[in-house]
Amino acid sequence: MKRNALLFAALLIAIVGMLSAGKYLNRVRQHSPTKMVGDVRGLAAPNFDLATLDGRRVKLSDYRGKAVLLNFWATWCSPCKVEMPWFVELQKKYGNDGLVILGIAMDDSDAPKIAQFASELGVNYPVLLGTDQVSEQYGNVEFLPTSFYIDRDGKIVGKGTGLLGRSEIEDNVRKALASPVAGINNAQTSATPPKTQPTAQ
Amino acid sequence: MTRTLPVLLLLLALLFVLPAFSQGPGEKLPSVTMAAVGKVQVKAGEPVSVELDFRIGSEFHINSNKPKSELLIPTVLKLQAAEPVSLVAVKYPAGQDVAFPFAPNEKLSVYSGDFAITAVVKAPPKAAPGEYPVTGELRFQACDRSACYPPRSISVKFSVTVVGR
Repeated sequence: MKRNALLFAALLIAIVGMLSAGKYLNRVRQHSPTKMVGDVRGLAAPNFDLATLDGRRVKLSDYRGKAVLLNFWATWCSPCKVEMPWFVELQKKYGNDGLVILGIAMDDSDAPKIAQFASELGVNYPVLLGTDQVSEQYGNVEFLPTSFYIDRDGKIVGKGTGLLGRSEIEDNVRKALASPVAGINNAQTSATPPKTQPTAQ
Repeated sequence: MTRTLPVLLLLLALLFVLPAFSQGPGEKLPSVTMAAVGKVQVKAGEPVSVELDFRIGSEFHINSNKPKSELLIPTVLKLQAAEPVSLVAVKYPAGQDVAFPFAPNEKLSVYSGDFAITAVVKAPPKAAPGEYPVTGELRFQACDRSACYPPRSISVKFSVTVVGR
């Protein structure tokens, strides 16, 4: 009887300890300075201003009203290479529905090398030159590929780390496309950013 | 019942706590460590090979020194030896040709688990006996089965004792 009571007390202490640890870890993740760790769904996607391979500047806010698939990748990342043809297909399939795919190259290589790589894979969406700052904004992107799925209202609806299956990627794209935004003309669906001066949001 | 209740409670608690500790695909950071190097003695004027043993964390691989694409980042050891010791050569092991689930039709040349790089050092015939440091770094780029990690470097250090002929 006494042994059972001791066992029960030990288990109770272990349970309380584990629950506290779990709660603490979740709290730490949610209150991280960037807030872009753990479950990021529902958070506003941080805006950025990055150079394209041909020297233009692109802001995420240029695409407000579109669903954005933001893909961090690098030429040295073999799993990234697997996803990119799928992105090409998805851009073709959902471009008219308002999908914009933006590739953020986290390479040390220069733009021409990255451009050649993207061209060989038939990339049909803008490729931006990544910076440490944008990596930090998105929770320190430590591994590639990492993708964020952003709805038309600029909110993150999904995140994929590592190589996902094509169907999982497409499901996330559909989620991002699912949210309509009032007052936005979704007829403009090109993956190219607007030529006119975009409105920062 | 009195016995099963604590077990059930424990399992319930584990359900809550495990997700907090769990890591998604690609979220465990890769590690490469170097084993301590034993005593290295060099007879002045004669080269000697020093085996440097490295261990890659389980589940990870790094590109070999000769990856199959120029886009892939090779594993490179850079060393500087204190005078009068000099570095003669660095010999890398051949990589293993492995096809990974992310590209089953393409074999990559990689190191995984334990691997050794040989550094050949020597001291000139008239070198003063004594202990001299050799320092440097191993640069590598690691991946697991679904993600890759930015290139990293670890420091490499060992001592060479020069003795007279």
